[in-house]
Amino acid sequence: MTSRLGRLLRGAGILAILAWSLGPILIGVLTSISTQAEVQATPAVWIPKSISWDGYRALVDSHAGAGLPGGTETAAFGRAMLNSGLVTLESTAVILVLSVFSGYAFSRLRFRGRIVVLAVILATLTIPVFALVAPLFRMMAGLRLIDTQLGLVLIYLSAEAPLAIWLFYNYSREMPREPEEAALMDGCTRLGAFVRVVLPQMGSGIAALTAILLLATWGQFLIPLLFAPTLNSKPVTVLITEFVGKYTTNYPLLAAAGVLAMLPPAVVAIFLNRHIRGMLSGWSG
Amino acid sequence: MPGVDLKRGVDPGLGEARDSATPNVIRHEESRLGWFLVLPVLIVVAVLVLYPLGFGFSMSLRSIIFGSGIPDHFVGLRNYQDVVTSSSTTAAAVHTAGYLIGALVLEVAAGLGIALLLNRSFKGRGLVFAVLILPWALPSVVSAILWQRLFAPNASGLLNSLLLDLHVISAPHVWLASTTSAIFLITLLHVWGVIPLTSLIFLSGLQSIPDDLLAASAVDGATPFRQFRHITLPLLRPALAVALTTGTVVALAIFDEIYVLNGAALNTRSVMMQVYLTTFQDLDFGHGTALAFLLTGVTTVFGIVYIRGLRRVEH
Repeated sequence: MTSRLGRLLRGAGILAILAWSLGPILIGVLTSISTQAEVQATPAVWIPKSISWDGYRALVDSHAGAGLPGGTETAAFGRAMLNSGLVTLESTAVILVLSVFSGYAFSRLRFRGRIVVLAVILATLTIPVFALVAPLFRMMAGLRLIDTQLGLVLIYLSAEAPLAIWLFYNYSREMPREPEEAALMDGCTRLGAFVRVVLPQMGSGIAALTAILLLATWGQFLIPLLFAPTLNSKPVTVLITEFVGKYTTNYPLLAAAGVLAMLPPAVVAIFLNRHIRGMLSGWSG
Repeated sequence: MPGVDLKRGVDPGLGEARDSATPNVIRHEESRLGWFLVLPVLIVVAVLVLYPLGFGFSMSLRSIIFGSGIPDHFVGLRNYQDVVTSSSTTAAAVHTAGYLIGALVLEVAAGLGIALLLNRSFKGRGLVFAVLILPWALPSVVSAILWQRLFAPNASGLLNSLLLDLHVISAPHVWLASTTSAIFLITLLHVWGVIPLTSLIFLSGLQSIPDDLLAASAVDGATPFRQFRHITLPLLRPALAVALTTGTVVALAIFDEIYVLNGAALNTRSVMMQVYLTTFQDLDFGHGTALAFLLTGVTTVFGIVYIRGLRRVEH
């Protein structure tokens, strides 16, 4: 397709991809800097005449928010962002360690029962988290872990660990073995070779899995909706949906909350997008 | 993922460890290290997946309604029977089928189109990839908030305003009040987050097609269209199976987008929303888990059908 028409069509297609992907984000950003009058105007005002920070002020500035429609949500919003960040980092760290250790063991070490354990983990991949939500809720209630960060981390383990382990197993299976074999020949112990040779070799896989886990955990909604009822542990995804009920038509405030909650995953996706792509392509075999 | 809930894929087949001649001492060390590294995973899976699975199944066989004053008791398969024959399940199943079919059609069409466009390298392709991935990376709840003003019911809603300007409609629509338009628009929002993944799946499928196969057929006089029809499409079957499985798993669990845009409104309830309401609003854990297990069964059957379809083509 080197013809001029072909190139023109391709260019139009790529523009369409960009518009489709960025359009809603752009509308959200524009809405977040509009005034209440602008979002209620007829016909609609797509691009505000000047930048209004009212929506953001209600969320981040505890002094300025008081007089605005919707009042101030500073304390709640900040706490929810912090909760999201902490629980996301904690569960990502735990799942990452589990996946790296087991991915290495399954792909490189021979031990009795290896295939059976691997098959069990593969089988759990087909169990969607919603089948487990009710029993997990009763387990967590029994252990008094509702509304705690530990409780959330445990449930995210249940929801995300099997897929993460599987993805990382597939990744480490494809890695060249020669460096490790050379280290073993030189008299390294298995553990020593793992720490000094294999682990550094896994850099890009670890980056990719970290990114995927950060995104998946930050975006969790149904689980914390049930397991994180108060600001003790409530993440920003759940708090935002409460804003929707409370400030139905205060679109600037809602959009500002959306934009702020979008920033961490957007940064991860943009900076690690090459790694993410590699791992997602690998999963389709 | 989002629901980035992780968008789960299924990869058939287990790999094998390579056999190399190693002395017994090392074998022993290897085996011990292996179990040491795998044991935590095994404990996590047993305690947090397998045990709740069994516990959940036993709950689905009992009548458990909190606050009803009736003590728990065994009812066998009656919860399943009630759930299957209930009209609210039928309605939710119809809506979910709507979401599923719409999502799969849009995801395959757009995913394949995008993959074909991005298959050749060009200047700025990396940037396009970074942008393409964004909707997938965002929490579905956040996406729903970003889209919300588009669907606003009055004349200042963006979609209404646009269509009024273009004289397509003469009065503002309450988009989320009618079942058809609501399900269509929620599906659109849903696929916005899934299409990036579908595109990557098709793209890696395209890249696994050997170039010389296409070159040889071109020498034989095949037109680009015939190449696409007789070489590219058949070889994309594995990618199609993965894309369909992934798309089905996330579409059957659709919840977040509906919750934000339309709450528990009757006209857009999905099966997952019905599970949520039964279990956590009515506190009827027996019927709720029974419905959740039925949904799990349906999801698994779809996955098996796709993978079987894939096998049949390969042989």
